[in-house]
Amino acid sequence: MKVCLLYADREALDSENYYDTASIIQDLGLNSLFSTSARKLVYEDGALKKLEKEDPFLTDTLRKVMMVPLTSEDEILFRQEIVADCLEAGTMIGELYRICAETIEKWNELGRTIWEKIRQGNPTLRLISEIRVMHLFCDSLAEIRGVLEKQEHLTSRGLTAFRDEFMKAFSKEREEYVRKGLNDISFYTSGLDQKDEGIDQNIQPRIVFECGLEDGLKFSSIRMEDVSSQSYKFAKHGGIVYKFRKYINSRMPNSFSVEDDGWLVTQSQQLEFGVVSYVIRKLKSVTDEFQSFFDRLRFQAAFYQAAVQMKLHMDRFGLEWCFPKVCDRRDLEFEELREFVMAIEQRVKVIGNTCSLRQKDMLIVTGANQGGKSTFLRSIGIAQVMMQCGLPVTAKSFRSGIFPRIFVHFTRREDSAMNSGRLDEELRRMDGIVEHIGDGSLILLNESFASTTEKEGSLIAYDILRALKEAGVRILTVTHLLSFAKRVYGESKDRPEAGVDFLSAERLPDGTRTFRMVRGEPELTSFGLDLYDEIVEKGLQNRGR
Amino acid sequence: MQGEFSILRPDGNGYDAEETATFYQDLNLLQVIDRLSGKWGREIRKYFMYLPEDPKEGDYRRAVYGDIKKEPVYRALMAFTEAMNGVDKLRGERTRVSDSLQRSAWLIREAEAYCGAYVALHRELSQAELESEGMLSLLAILTETMDGGYREIHKLTAEALTEIRKMRFVVTYEKARMRVEIRETPGEGAYDKWLNSEAQSEDVTFVNPFLTDAAITELERACLTILKEKNKDFFRRIQTAAKQCERYQKTVLLRFEQEVLYYLSYATLQREMEKAGHHFATPATGDGVRMEAKGLYDIALAIATLSDGRKVIANDFYYGPGERFFVLTGPNQGGKTTFARSLGQLVYLTRMGLDVPAESASVPYFSNIQTHFSVEESVETGRGKLMDELVRLAPMMAGNESETFVVINELFTTAANYDAQIMGKRVLEHFISRGCTGIYVTHLKELAEDRDGVVSLRAMLNDRGIQTFEIRRGEAEDSACAANQVNKYRLSYEQLKERL
Repeated sequence: MKVCLLYADREALDSENYYDTASIIQDLGLNSLFSTSARKLVYEDGALKKLEKEDPFLTDTLRKVMMVPLTSEDEILFRQEIVADCLEAGTMIGELYRICAETIEKWNELGRTIWEKIRQGNPTLRLISEIRVMHLFCDSLAEIRGVLEKQEHLTSRGLTAFRDEFMKAFSKEREEYVRKGLNDISFYTSGLDQKDEGIDQNIQPRIVFECGLEDGLKFSSIRMEDVSSQSYKFAKHGGIVYKFRKYINSRMPNSFSVEDDGWLVTQSQQLEFGVVSYVIRKLKSVTDEFQSFFDRLRFQAAFYQAAVQMKLHMDRFGLEWCFPKVCDRRDLEFEELREFVMAIEQRVKVIGNTCSLRQKDMLIVTGANQGGKSTFLRSIGIAQVMMQCGLPVTAKSFRSGIFPRIFVHFTRREDSAMNSGRLDEELRRMDGIVEHIGDGSLILLNESFASTTEKEGSLIAYDILRALKEAGVRILTVTHLLSFAKRVYGESKDRPEAGVDFLSAERLPDGTRTFRMVRGEPELTSFGLDLYDEIVEKGLQNRGR
Repeated sequence: MQGEFSILRPDGNGYDAEETATFYQDLNLLQVIDRLSGKWGREIRKYFMYLPEDPKEGDYRRAVYGDIKKEPVYRALMAFTEAMNGVDKLRGERTRVSDSLQRSAWLIREAEAYCGAYVALHRELSQAELESEGMLSLLAILTETMDGGYREIHKLTAEALTEIRKMRFVVTYEKARMRVEIRETPGEGAYDKWLNSEAQSEDVTFVNPFLTDAAITELERACLTILKEKNKDFFRRIQTAAKQCERYQKTVLLRFEQEVLYYLSYATLQREMEKAGHHFATPATGDGVRMEAKGLYDIALAIATLSDGRKVIANDFYYGPGERFFVLTGPNQGGKTTFARSLGQLVYLTRMGLDVPAESASVPYFSNIQTHFSVEESVETGRGKLMDELVRLAPMMAGNESETFVVINELFTTAANYDAQIMGKRVLEHFISRGCTGIYVTHLKELAEDRDGVVSLRAMLNDRGIQTFEIRRGEAEDSACAANQVNKYRLSYEQLKERL
């Protein structure tokens, strides 16, 4: 039984993931996004009552799935449809996820791992646990069918196909078959389960088989005629009723008792064991295709469960959301795009940005410190990653091309001190990136090469980015390297075919930062003086008072 | 005298003296024999380790081998051998059980398999076109044996088995009792049918849980006891058939059953190698043929490369009139030793009456093969290497047979050059004057100087100085080995530039 909810044509998350996912997660701050989405929101009377603890499985699933980009519009639509279905269907995906998780947990208790099996050692114990696993499978699969049967309004290709295939793979007939088989061999586990206690019934096997003789006169070519569990009223061993029954039975012609001889007792138990193993193996062949089904469904359902919760968190922070649309790689358009991670971390509705780039390969963002440049860059990066795994994004609208290769090259602020070791590290990272550049590459640079002098840094940046641009890489860069920005500006001014665009963090004449990006010529100052004034001078003045 | 019949030795004698000649080791024949005995059992080693003295014996075998290589004969013998392995297993079963009724049943089964194997072999061989003296004798003996009772026993036991296998009965296990009823017509297996209605694996079937034990269990015996009462006739017939079986004697052709493996093992190897593209030829022998071969290769090396598909170089050679000894010189790792070995193998396999690893070959009769390969200094004996070599050389040179094929590989490498030349020449002259034929591999080009009976051969390099492993006639010359090694590993400057 296939579970194709992540891709229309396959189950495994086997496409290539992004290069250097650790940097992407770190630089875009995705860990907060993962762990917040892994927290279930509990509502009461329509109002958020509480947040449950983070489900590490969901966190882990998001980390895995989001780092593997989809590579076509159809793949993206496939997932978007399912997310939409899940949002519509309320608790469905959560239920599926829960059933899988619980089944796996119980299965583990019954001894799923090889170590458990070794620990159980005894084949009889192992057989008993196999019977119990079969019961568990049957119950869980029936429960899943119950959930799916209720979903009449599914429209996504993925979920409808999954539902239809499941109904076939575990039909009512199959369930009845497995249940009858389990009932026939229930004698083997009778009295072992707590619920059986206190019942004055004694369950005994009835096994009828036809057979022939093999060379050497051993039984062979055995055909099973009947296997069933017969229920008798309990009679105390050695009691009157017991003796009477035994006497009646002994009058059966052409028969012998297997109770009175040690060997015969053992061998009839061997026979029971053989028959039960046989029946179980047959039943198993029906549920075999579900051996790893729960794991696969759990993983895939976890992604959509997280997607549903992600959307609820967006609502919680009052962030408008939409399903992004795919467009040409040289275009990028969005309205009111907000930085989701910052909203999560600072619990505020961050400023939205609107932007439209048509037929551009390079965007250079300059401007005031603390003006929201990095936030702006990150918001695009986060949205791009979310779009490329089928998730909704925090914007009124968002259109972008598909970039199977996303690279981030962020200067890590905390230690951007000027020294050659840092530059060396930056260049080494760039070398790694260049090694992996290919079709559909997008690189986000944040204050790259700021670890050397402005002049040197500008030269390095100019050479590298020009080469990248000529190689067809889309470049989004936030930079302080004003010589670099000026130079590119000079070369591309009045030449739209150059495919370069410039944005600056808006700064009102009075120095107020709006955290919005506006189109315009890069200035020679990044208005650090403003900040200096605000922080240093103001502090000094205050002290002076 | 049936007991004396041998498919290997026309005189029917045994193999009392297992030879331990050094040439098995030196020519890498032990590798070949190890491979054969690894698959066919240690028993066959003694046949390969015995070099028949009489030239007729080689011819006798060659003729038999010619018959056995024929597809229908090969198939029949392979099937026969497999059936015999089955008989051995059945015999094992019989000796493991103690129940007399069960023993009878196993005996019937065993006799049926054994006689059946012979009946089939006889049928196949009667239809085959046999030419060799050995195989025709075998067929005659088989015919006699069949008529002497094998066919009858086979029929009787086959009938008894059919009857045993036809018996069907139903066991009902309930209320802690087993009930047994004979059933005339086979049932449907209703529960199996139901299980298979949904099950995805038809191949899972119920097997007797008591099969792990060869002996019948108490439970089975208790059921049989009831069956016996219900069908006394049936069991009486089994006992009668078993009595008849005791007549079959399984010693008549015991020797043949063993010896045939000698041919089958080699024929199977030959087929496998031919499939991999290696050639085999039946050598021409007899008086007056000269020693020569086309496309000769080292069979041990070819076996080693079967799994990895490396190419093995084949060479042509001939000893012209009056030519007695090859002196082979050339670069290290140039295939000299391999070529020398393949010559020795050629002589050995011809003597053994088997096909040889070449496209074509003719080999005169040699009564003996003598080899001398240099070995690492022996710590055990404490002798120096030169000393060691001389000690081993002495008995070789002491003999006086002329029909000996001699393979000498790198003598006196530790001695001073001057001494080595003189000693080498003397050894060479000794063997030539004795009338022996052979090959002398050496790094001393002086030994290859023109002299009566000596032919100079060289391991060739290509124009880039890389070993080709080809051996040709030609004057000996000094060779620069170091550059070759570098080239071989593609470590020169240009090559490295290319690789990087």
